[in-house]
Amino acid sequence: MTWKTIGQSVTGTSHLQNGKGCEDAGSCRVHNLANGEYALVCFASDGAGSAAFATEASAAAVSAAHEFAEALLQDGRELTDSHLIALGEYIYDRLNEMAAAEEAPKNEFSCTLLGCIITPQKSGFLQIGDGAIIRNDGSGHFTQIWWPYNGEYQNSTAFIIDDPSLAHLQYKVIDEPVTEVALFTDGLQQLALNHVSMAVHQPFFAGLFPALRRAESEEHLSILNTRLAEYLSGNAINSRTDDDKTLLLATRE
Amino acid sequence: MDEYIAFEQLPFGADDFADNPESRCPCMLLLDTSGSMGGEPIRQLNEGINTLKMELEIDPLAAKRVEVAMVTFGPVSYESDFQTVDNFYPKQLVASGDTPVGAAITLGIDLVNKRKELYKQRGVGYYKPWIILITDGAPTDAWGHAAQLIKDGERENRFAFFAIGVEGANFDVLRQLSVRQPLKLRGLAFREFFLWLSGSLKTVSSKNPGEQNKLLPPTGWADL
Repeated sequence: MTWKTIGQSVTGTSHLQNGKGCEDAGSCRVHNLANGEYALVCFASDGAGSAAFATEASAAAVSAAHEFAEALLQDGRELTDSHLIALGEYIYDRLNEMAAAEEAPKNEFSCTLLGCIITPQKSGFLQIGDGAIIRNDGSGHFTQIWWPYNGEYQNSTAFIIDDPSLAHLQYKVIDEPVTEVALFTDGLQQLALNHVSMAVHQPFFAGLFPALRRAESEEHLSILNTRLAEYLSGNAINSRTDDDKTLLLATRE
Repeated sequence: MDEYIAFEQLPFGADDFADNPESRCPCMLLLDTSGSMGGEPIRQLNEGINTLKMELEIDPLAAKRVEVAMVTFGPVSYESDFQTVDNFYPKQLVASGDTPVGAAITLGIDLVNKRKELYKQRGVGYYKPWIILITDGAPTDAWGHAAQLIKDGERENRFAFFAIGVEGANFDVLRQLSVRQPLKLRGLAFREFFLWLSGSLKTVSSKNPGEQNKLLPPTGWADL
């Protein structure tokens, strides 16, 4: 059973107005495992709007995370909590090195992290900061892994680079092969989550996953990727958020 | 239903149902845009449709509940899918072609039935759909099947069908099509008609689904 994935990061309207680029990054990769099975790895990151190197930080966090996950999967060992912590530390070190190389304060490399590593036996999730990871609970209902971390105010959150001990890193490994996941950065929080009931806004995902489940070829996935980019930059979304937004979707077939 | 749709046409992205859980009041407009509607009639019709949009938009409840769709003929064309009025951007209609009333009605009823299915799937309540035919001529296609569909639909309380004849319309045919008495538009009082329609839709959509309700009297636009 392999995975079908789509994902896009789209620049928010406020960033366009200020001449800033997209400070989000995100991607999904499907890995062939030694036993002929497949693993899904997805990471997304939102560079802090106030950080000078937000774009570089989010891109580096995602690519470092993928490097680490790939090495881990090739190693063939079973996924554990300590791997996820090590992954967080690996990204922290990378960002720290980049800040040193630029001779910039490390908080200029502030970014969040959302990620999942799903093997046929285990599903690992990790998150620092806002945005959310949601999963199909097996009955077609979507639930969040964690509620987004915001401080007292909507515009404050936690970043990887905040603390070498990664106090805000949330992680867990469950003995369950999850079949569908979505990761999204905080730009989509107001649309994809119901803040009153603290639950996933089901219709948001009910409008997206059916088409992905129907996809039968690379061509179909490329059509959906185009439509996802259009959807994320369309009026329906932009009337609700002016932030950058990343949405990654994956379904197992 | 999705299995009949090409992959490219599959719905993708949360639609209006994601944010608007209000019950829906679907209104299907079947509009004659045949050659004889050219000139002043089509201009007045376009203006009337804009009036409908504006009138419904200023009523906050109707704006969330009334969904307007448009099928024009001829040839038969599905101009605009069911939309709440804030998303309803009527195109300027152009008059040309013949008057395939039968095909337009058949398509209109089919689309209304599909819409009701979608409401059920998405778990929103709905009001009895309205289908409104406006024509200034006589059908140029076979309309017997369409008349039967209307009779069946009215008998089974699936929708309410109204026929509005503009000057020159064949009222004999309209009477055979519509279970309700067809109404004759006075002159080109499209604006007044659409004001009445928006008023009636507001009345309907402010009641609970399933509740019986009376239409406003067709004053100001119909020759009784």
